[in-house]
Amino acid sequence: MSRGHGIAMLWVLLMAAGMWLAATQVAVHSELADLLPEGTTATQRLLLNQVRSGLAGRLLLLAVEGGAPDELAQASREFSERLRATGHFTLVENGAQDVRFREGDLIFESRYLLSPTIGRDAFSRDSLRRALEQRLDDLRSPLAPLVKATIPADPTGEFFAILSAWSGDDRPEKHRGVWVSKDRSKALLLVETKAAGFDADAQATIHQEIRQIFDSLLAARPPSVHLLMTGAGVFAVEAKQTIEKEVWRLSTAAAALVLLFLFASYRSITLVLLSLIPLTAGVMAGMLAVQGWFGFIHGITLGFGITLLGVVDDYPIHLFSHLSSRGSAPAVMHEIWPTMRIGVLTTAIGFAALLFAGFPALTQLGVFAVIGILTAAAVTRWVLPLFVPDWFLPRPISPAWPSRLEPLTRMKPVIPAVIVLACATLLWSHTPLWEAELAGLSPVSEAKRQLDRQMREELGAPDVRDLLVIEGQTDENVLQYAEAVEVKLKPLRDSGVIGGYDLVTNYLPSRRTQQDRQSHLPEQSVLMHNLDQALKGLPFTPGLFRPFLAAVESARRQPPLERKAFQDTAFEARLASLMFEHRGSWTAVVPLRRIEDRRQFADIVAGWNVAAVTYVDLKQESNGLMRAYRDRTFVIVVCGLLVISIVLAIGLRSFNQLGPILSPILGASAVVAAVVNLSGESLSLFHIATFLLVIGLGLDYALFFNRPEGTEEGRSRTLYGLLVCSTTTMLVFGVLAGSSIPVLHAIGMTAAVGSFCCLLFAGIMAKKGLYASA
Amino acid sequence: MTFGNRLGSVIAGCGFVLVGVAHNASGSAWTVETLIGLIKVQGESSVAFEEATYSSLLTEPIISRGVLRFVPPDKLEKIVTAPSHERYVVEGDRVTFESERRGIKRTVSLDDYPALRSFVEAFRSSLAGDVVQLRNIYEVTMEGTRGRWTLLLRPHESSGKSVVDYILLSGAEGRIATIAIRSPDGDRAVMTLLPGAPR
Repeated sequence: MSRGHGIAMLWVLLMAAGMWLAATQVAVHSELADLLPEGTTATQRLLLNQVRSGLAGRLLLLAVEGGAPDELAQASREFSERLRATGHFTLVENGAQDVRFREGDLIFESRYLLSPTIGRDAFSRDSLRRALEQRLDDLRSPLAPLVKATIPADPTGEFFAILSAWSGDDRPEKHRGVWVSKDRSKALLLVETKAAGFDADAQATIHQEIRQIFDSLLAARPPSVHLLMTGAGVFAVEAKQTIEKEVWRLSTAAAALVLLFLFASYRSITLVLLSLIPLTAGVMAGMLAVQGWFGFIHGITLGFGITLLGVVDDYPIHLFSHLSSRGSAPAVMHEIWPTMRIGVLTTAIGFAALLFAGFPALTQLGVFAVIGILTAAAVTRWVLPLFVPDWFLPRPISPAWPSRLEPLTRMKPVIPAVIVLACATLLWSHTPLWEAELAGLSPVSEAKRQLDRQMREELGAPDVRDLLVIEGQTDENVLQYAEAVEVKLKPLRDSGVIGGYDLVTNYLPSRRTQQDRQSHLPEQSVLMHNLDQALKGLPFTPGLFRPFLAAVESARRQPPLERKAFQDTAFEARLASLMFEHRGSWTAVVPLRRIEDRRQFADIVAGWNVAAVTYVDLKQESNGLMRAYRDRTFVIVVCGLLVISIVLAIGLRSFNQLGPILSPILGASAVVAAVVNLSGESLSLFHIATFLLVIGLGLDYALFFNRPEGTEEGRSRTLYGLLVCSTTTMLVFGVLAGSSIPVLHAIGMTAAVGSFCCLLFAGIMAKKGLYASA
Repeated sequence: MTFGNRLGSVIAGCGFVLVGVAHNASGSAWTVETLIGLIKVQGESSVAFEEATYSSLLTEPIISRGVLRFVPPDKLEKIVTAPSHERYVVEGDRVTFESERRGIKRTVSLDDYPALRSFVEAFRSSLAGDVVQLRNIYEVTMEGTRGRWTLLLRPHESSGKSVVDYILLSGAEGRIATIAIRSPDGDRAVMTLLPGAPR
């Protein structure tokens, strides 16, 4: 067996093994969260994580719409009953329930430790007297039967005070006992899933079930009644579905277009099949590398990576376009390899820069592209020629046509002019140059986001944007800090600086506070004396308050309430999201509502001068994070370009050739930036990262345009090959530009426009004699 | 076909009988409808009341005084002037409660307190002359004569039952004299409407 056959056999074996690995080992994720940055500080990381997996992420907002208010109310009641029965939710609220309990017992038993009203004078004669008179009023009220039972053990009404503090303010209006929007066009429900909001698979199943339940309710109802659903989970599912659908649709469309185009250009199925050899090898190697490095590959990386590796189709095309009756495939390969090698290396260096981006999405892409490109190039160099049949010759290309391109070379002044024009456009454009909002990258449609804002408004469940973060060594530390913070927050709420807050100590006071309250509970004899005095002249049955005396006495010795006590109650999840342990230290987060003036509030918090408490504006935080990554990527791209130039200069052993090779790239970059801006978009992280691709493509074109080519036929083949290469690239990225996912759209648009400009400018900058016929 | 015809005439006959009864009722018979028609208040009206609340927690009843006001079609107001100032205003679906002693003013929806709803409807429907609504919520039994009657209301709804066992109104002609409300645990409140107050 010849050496060639040996390599071919080895190749087939490797491919088979690779396919098996790819099919069995590679895990494809499509949660957007996997691609987002993790934050630069420990606190940021912790926070982002908490926000993604915490309570806010698990809330779903539901609305029943399209009927008379009475019908909607009835639907809401039945709907909530059925939802509760599924067991998927820690909470289903439609306004119809009071705090109903297991929790009731917990609160009642610990009322003297939990109630904020227990202080020094809570059980003085006068306080007791006031409380008892209020109980008489209660007995006269129409609701007497509901409160009567608690009076003997809780004459000071602590139980109901705690309940009202726990049930929160800011609730929607009601109609027939259930929450409705102000105009009564919707019945509103709030559910909290057990599954995390970012767990798109679990969420999708739950949403499916919610819809089924709703449809089954609908059987007896007018068909106009329909369900609206929003929340982080809904976004996650939509993002995932959009990504999966698009990646599949786009990569299929792109692949089909490229294959068709290749066939149309060369009229040879053999060529099309041969060109797949480096591509498949590259994709497989890229996939396995990412899987090995990260443990999973993201759907976007895969989709974009495959599209991006479409670029490596250029390599076999270069080979085929130089094939002629005079040399065998391996010989031709040997001849063009030095030029190709520089192109491959510089492109790979460009993508390697992504490895330093520190942004999971881009790092994955970098690994995928670098490994894929190197593999594809190696396969084109050493394996592909072995598979080219001896008889294979691509369609002859007419040697005369390049001369028609001759006028291009007279257009050299156009390039500086275009660059100036592009820069002017950027300077005077009304569209901001840089994308500032992370939300601009979300694949969730604007209509869905609008609905989300509206329903949150109506339900009084605003998106969590502002937080106070309280850190401490122990849970007790954090609780004590939180209580100190409450003292400061309360006046801010009363004066309207903030709309409200949800503080962990509202549910679980610190041990110190609980003990403090215990210390205010009087001894049995004192309490008995005060009570007797207070009861004078009031018509309560003698001995009625014996349970009260016993309760206070036992509360004096009761161990403080701990977090554990909330296990298996509706408050467990809430408590866990408000306070948690992380690597041995504790953090409490305090969601804040309706801050009118964020700067003012930030100043106020800074004025407290407490190191343990920080104010975080999540939106600003994540946008800032985005900006930081974008700037970093920008620097990386510039550095990449420098390194590429140096490598080029060394590879070509000449600085003079750098001009014609680099100027098309610079021109193309400026034009791309201007075109993106003119189309009303701002440059994001992903546009910038794609400039690397444009640079890689531009290099490839420029190198081959400037390659000394002996014969006229050879020149025409080279040019034809370049046209085919660039057209496939434009096709692929043109398809991507049509994506509704902002990230993919950004990449597609940048690369499609970029590759067109690179080709045009490289053609213009080509050496004089290139197009001339002999 | 013969059978069908006969059935038709039977139904027609029943119809005649029913119409006859209905006609008779609207004439002179002493029925719930007649009574409610008498009670029905045309314009705005107020009446002073004295209420005694008996509870198993208490050795003697609590006495309170005040004014009841009704503004058709659905605004009902109870103003307590002694022993301390309190005010309940029910308007449509909303109940506003004010208490001087507690220094609070709070508005809730009747829907939040189904028990309260049935309670309020007893008064509102009677005063507005809405027999249908009254029968929706209560089983209505009337006894006595036009000159001295009692009207017993027992709630159908289970949630209503948790606060109200029954409501017993008594009076003469179109004037309500007392309203007794008994809760399931035996506690009760007896409200006496004082004659002579402006109507």
